[in-house]
Amino acid sequence: MTVAQGIFFLIAALFVGGSLGVVLVRNAVYAALFLILALLAVAGVYILLASEFLALVQVLIYAGAVTVLLLFALMLTRVGDIPESMVGTQWPIAAVASTVLGGLLVATVSTSDWPGDAEGMITRIPFEQVGDALFRQWAVPFEIASLVLFIALVGAIILARDEDDDEDERTSPESAEVGEVTE
Amino acid sequence: MDTVTQQIPLEHFLVVSAIVFSIGIYGVLTRRNAVLILMSVELMLNAASINMVAFAAYTSPQVMTGIIFAVFIITVAAAEVGLALAIILRIFRNRGTSNVDEVNQLKW
Amino acid sequence: MNMQDAWVLPLLPAAAFVVLALFGPYLPRRGDFLAILAIGATFVLTLPIIADFTDALAMQGEEFVGVANSIRWLEVPGQLELDLGIHVDGLTVVMLVVVSFVAFMVQVYSLGYMKGDERYGWYYAVISLFAASMIALVLADNFLLLYFSWELVGLCSYLLIGHYNHLRSAAEASKKAFITTRIGDVGLLIGIILLWTETGTMNIQGVIEAAEAGAIGDEKFTAAVVLLFLGAMGKSAQFPFHVWLPDAMEGPTPVSALIHAATMVVAGVYLVARTLPLFELMSGGTELVLAIGLVTTFMSAGMGLVMTDIKRVIAYSTLNSLGLMFVALGVGSPAAAMLYLFTHAFFKALLFLGAGSVIHATEQQDVSRLGGLWSKMPLTGAMFAIGALSMAGLPFLAGFWAKDEILVALLENRAAFALVLLTLPMTALYMARVFILTFLGETKDEEARELAHESPPSMLVPLGLLTVLTVVAGFVVFDQVGEAMGFPGGIGEVIYLHDPHAFEFDVAVTLGSIGLVALGLLGGWYAYAVRIELPARMTATFRPVHTLLVNKFYMDDLYQAIIDRIILAISRMLAWFDRNVVNDTGIDGPALATGFAAYLTKFQQTGKLPSYALAIVIGIVALACVAFSLKV
Repeated sequence: MTVAQGIFFLIAALFVGGSLGVVLVRNAVYAALFLILALLAVAGVYILLASEFLALVQVLIYAGAVTVLLLFALMLTRVGDIPESMVGTQWPIAAVASTVLGGLLVATVSTSDWPGDAEGMITRIPFEQVGDALFRQWAVPFEIASLVLFIALVGAIILARDEDDDEDERTSPESAEVGEVTE
Repeated sequence: MDTVTQQIPLEHFLVVSAIVFSIGIYGVLTRRNAVLILMSVELMLNAASINMVAFAAYTSPQVMTGIIFAVFIITVAAAEVGLALAIILRIFRNRGTSNVDEVNQLKW
Repeated sequence: MNMQDAWVLPLLPAAAFVVLALFGPYLPRRGDFLAILAIGATFVLTLPIIADFTDALAMQGEEFVGVANSIRWLEVPGQLELDLGIHVDGLTVVMLVVVSFVAFMVQVYSLGYMKGDERYGWYYAVISLFAASMIALVLADNFLLLYFSWELVGLCSYLLIGHYNHLRSAAEASKKAFITTRIGDVGLLIGIILLWTETGTMNIQGVIEAAEAGAIGDEKFTAAVVLLFLGAMGKSAQFPFHVWLPDAMEGPTPVSALIHAATMVVAGVYLVARTLPLFELMSGGTELVLAIGLVTTFMSAGMGLVMTDIKRVIAYSTLNSLGLMFVALGVGSPAAAMLYLFTHAFFKALLFLGAGSVIHATEQQDVSRLGGLWSKMPLTGAMFAIGALSMAGLPFLAGFWAKDEILVALLENRAAFALVLLTLPMTALYMARVFILTFLGETKDEEARELAHESPPSMLVPLGLLTVLTVVAGFVVFDQVGEAMGFPGGIGEVIYLHDPHAFEFDVAVTLGSIGLVALGLLGGWYAYAVRIELPARMTATFRPVHTLLVNKFYMDDLYQAIIDRIILAISRMLAWFDRNVVNDTGIDGPALATGFAAYLTKFQQTGKLPSYALAIVIGIVALACVAFSLKV
């Protein structure tokens, strides 16, 4: 085993372990932390695939902003107080289904002939070229993506807005009434 | 572009991606809290992303579709998470719970 | 009006039926005048038809076999051609006169008899429908139209017997009548279809010609003819189907007069007379008719002696007469049968309407409670007496001539002749009995006697007309009378030209019959007017015979037992099957199953996000498996 392969297995283990943690742990915040671990592992995979810029973006946005956002949501919905039962209502079937699907995918992947050099020749793509392609051939999707972000932003603001101005009167999270319809 | 020789075959990356994808599916089906379901969805998206980039690096580097796609995935995932969390907040305010088992109006 | 136009005749009463059925309650007097107008017009219109008939007869003589007029009704190319039409010959003409005249008289009589009845309008509607169907029946040229009218008259009979629908006995009687005749009707239908499949035509004359040409196989032909006769037996109340006629007296008396004396019950006689060539072709055909007729006439004569209800006695006398008609047909003399039919219609209707007058006046039907009504109702009594004497066979009245003809025709068949001779004094006896017990002697119920009165003119006039006819109608036997009326060669030539049989006379037979009739009448007078205790003593002496007769030979009990044991048992089984298998399992089953399936699948709609997501994933996994197996 070469160094590269060893590093790959390490990062892969972190990734898989992190994802297992996300789906299995009881504590929601722990799950979020495991998610961070997994996302960082993904960044590592990107580096192994010779896309450093992508790894950077991954860490910045995913591991940085998205997980922070998730943690904020956990806080606002007071998940920390309620221990989540590890056993969801349909975990046996879910386990079977996901195992089957995973098995099928793995089997397919292993037994197929992939084009290109299977021995592990990858090409380092200079990111200037990526940027070039992004702003030329993929200019329209790029603009649309920015539009999507904008709409998501506006939508999130509207959805999460509190219509009545009682926010200030709530002294603590405990006094918020359950099931109150805010209109 | 220059090539780098690694001894990691393409299939390794694809297998990892498949495994994490399945784990993500398990999480989506099993978790009760809406935010945790969202986390599992993120896992699935990342797994798919790895898939894209691996193919781009190994098989078609000239056409950089995979990498571009990964960028977009990240973008859209971020937008989606923001929006989804806003919805979850809304539901939480209306019903006092973000447990998807209890938000069950969509039935007979 | 020519013979070809005779198809108009049934339409008039039919139109009256439609108008009365739909608008009766809103018309003045419930529209009875419309009904009477219709039937009166029908009768009047038969007269030019008779004239046209005699003209044709005069011109063509022997070759005249009748006039047909038809339109195509239904056609299935290559398989079925149905015509709708009429056939007018001598037989038809006789029946037309009888039906229209008696129906007319009865409807006029009903003005008085049914006055104040609750369902007055409907009564007239149905009786008009009956007249229409009966006329259609005798005019029909094909079996299908005949059967159609046959069923319609059965329906009208059912409706009219059950006219007093608040009475349980009336409902039972109408049911009994309908079901009993139904058995015969089914036989008739099968026979018709059998003949049609063998000859390819439903036209009566066509079938007869085909049969004479030998187109029909022996077994099928025998079966078909027997089945046809079954229908006749049912409708004409021959043994063993006679049980419905006495019970049919539950209906209003004018109905009894019209339907169960003069017209509907003779439909069977008409049918056999019309298809007589078929019976003659079938081996044993005429013998069958003869045998059944003999049994019927003899049995009913016996039963008439012991009945106490005035209408029932007359009903049994009708059975007696019908049996005689079939006997006449059975020896191959349709002329004698039709003559008897013709005269019988008048005096039997007279008897019934006369009895109706008594019933209407005294509200009493039991002869053991009547008596001595002569002083209060002499006119009715006299007319009734004439009818009774005609039935018994007193010389020069209509019945006498008709009975004589039948006896003459019977001369070749010793056994039949003897039996019929025996019934002559029996008939005279029970006719005398009923008259004496009703009108003469001492009153047994003072209240009845108080109520007795002569009927209103609307009832007396038809009685009078019928009486006149009873007296004179018999004289048509003489050729001179026939020729004067325009029938060349006498009526016998006319009535059945396939087998022309002019009326014959045998002095010995005539004298013998007169003697027997006188014996019966005198005996009756002696037993019921002079030595009044004699009947009671006779009853005691012949107790077993009396019991047998009073219980109507236990036939009703036999039928009831059959129904109870066999038919109702089968019905119960079928009802069980229908309720449990067909309904609960077959119909409710799929419904419940569907509901249950829905109930089961309802649980799929949990409203919970994870279960929906699971469903999606399972679908994807399934597709993946399929794709994977294809790849491999």
